[in-house]
Order: sequence, then structure tokens, then C-alpha cells
Amino acid sequence: MAIIVKLDERLWERRMTLTELSERVGISLANLSILKTGKARAIRFSTLDAICRALECQPGDLLAYDPATESPLEE
Amino acid sequence: MNAPSVRAAGSTFPALSAARRLLTALLYVNGVYGLAILGLLLASIVVPGPLFEGLGVRPASGRDTLELGMRLIMVIGIASVPVAYVILSRLRAIVDTVREGDPFVEANAERLQTIAWAYLGLELLHLGVGVVAAISGSSAQPLDVNWRFSVTPWVAVLLLFVLARVFDHGTRMRADLEGTV
Repeated sequence: MAIIVKLDERLWERRMTLTELSERVGISLANLSILKTGKARAIRFSTLDAICRALECQPGDLLAYDPATESPLEE
Repeated sequence: MNAPSVRAAGSTFPALSAARRLLTALLYVNGVYGLAILGLLLASIVVPGPLFEGLGVRPASGRDTLELGMRLIMVIGIASVPVAYVILSRLRAIVDTVREGDPFVEANAERLQTIAWAYLGLELLHLGVGVVAAISGSSAQPLDVNWRFSVTPWVAVLLLFVLARVFDHGTRMRADLEGTV
């Protein structure tokens, strides 16, 4: 699996911290951290919806596919 | 999880500690049972006359077949000891994981599967005892081992296999859920 989560970039663009995002979307900081570091196995549509709403972006702005990237889950 | 927390969890659930102690005791009893039957088998070879007379075998026709049947049942009894050990030791390991607070692990699904196979083996051995008793006994001198066929243990075997699959599936689902955000 070579799915990259580009949450860091979107947060930087919005000048928002992970803690602030956590408060806005109602998802724990620990879970968002798992998502940010690419350690998540799956993402719920509801999570994606909440993050996209908070960061005013599209799912494609958050996720990318790079076959050259090794997933932390496969290390 | 480390040992002190295991003890803490065990003290929270006294039933689990009791179950563990009971299973440990049964493991010892199983070993003693095996040694006792082995002793009986050896005695049937070294001093067959007094032993079989003591077991109620009368000097009549078919005595040799009866003695052979009794020895075969002793061998089956000895063979059941390691099988019972597998069941008891795996069950104790499952109890340990419950005490540690995390029983839904892949290892437990495998243990349940092993228990199911071992239980099936035990039932086949039990069936073997019935066959040997039926063949070696005669109407004049039947080999009475109080054997009776029952459907219940076979249903239990089936149940164990199903449970093992359910456990395996549940463990995988939990693993997936753990990584879901």
C-alpha cells in the first residue's frame, strides 16, 4: 500500500495545528496523529468528511498514491 | 504485559485465578493418569496372570483376545494423555490472556483451533475404545468398559471448530478496526 496522507501540508496551508483540527472535527489527537503519520489502515468516510469540511479541501487534497513510497504498515 | 499486571488482573477476577489453578491441577492429574495406565500396561506384560485375574478375567475361551483388547485399551488410554495435555495447556494459555486483559489475539484463535483438533482426536480415541471393547469381548465374557456412544461430544467438536473460526474472524476484524480512523 502506498497511500500518502497529506494532512501536514493542508494544516500548514491553513495555519492550523493538529490539536485545533482535533477540536474542530471531534476526532482524538491520537487518531489524527495515526492518520497524519500514515499508520492508519483505513479511514472512515465520516472522518474524511469532517476533515475536508474543517480544512475546506477535497479528499484528493488529503490523499495521494505513490507506488514508490513504502507504507509504514509494510515495513 | 508483564507479570505483576497479570497478577493484578487475576486478583480482580478470582474465577480466572481459580480456573487457572484447576487447569494446572488437571495437567498434573493427566500426567499421573498416564503414568498409572503405563504402569498397568507394563504389569499386564510382566505379571499378566495375577493382573488380569484381579481385573476379573476368568480362565475361559477367548481369554487371549480379551487380554489383548484390554492392553489395546490401555495403549489408547496412554495415547490420550498427550492429547489431553494439548487441550488443557492451550486452555490455560487462553485463560492467561483473559487475565492479562487481551484475549482477542491471533494466538488464541490458533489455540482454539488446536483444541478443536485435539478434542476430535480424543473422541476418535474414545470411539477406538468402543470398537476394541466390542471386538475383544464375547457373550460369555464381555469387556465392560462402560462405553456408550453419545452425540454431544461430537457436537462439541463441531462447536469448537466453529468457535475457532468465529474467533479468528473477530480477531482480524478487531485488528482492522484498531487501524481505522
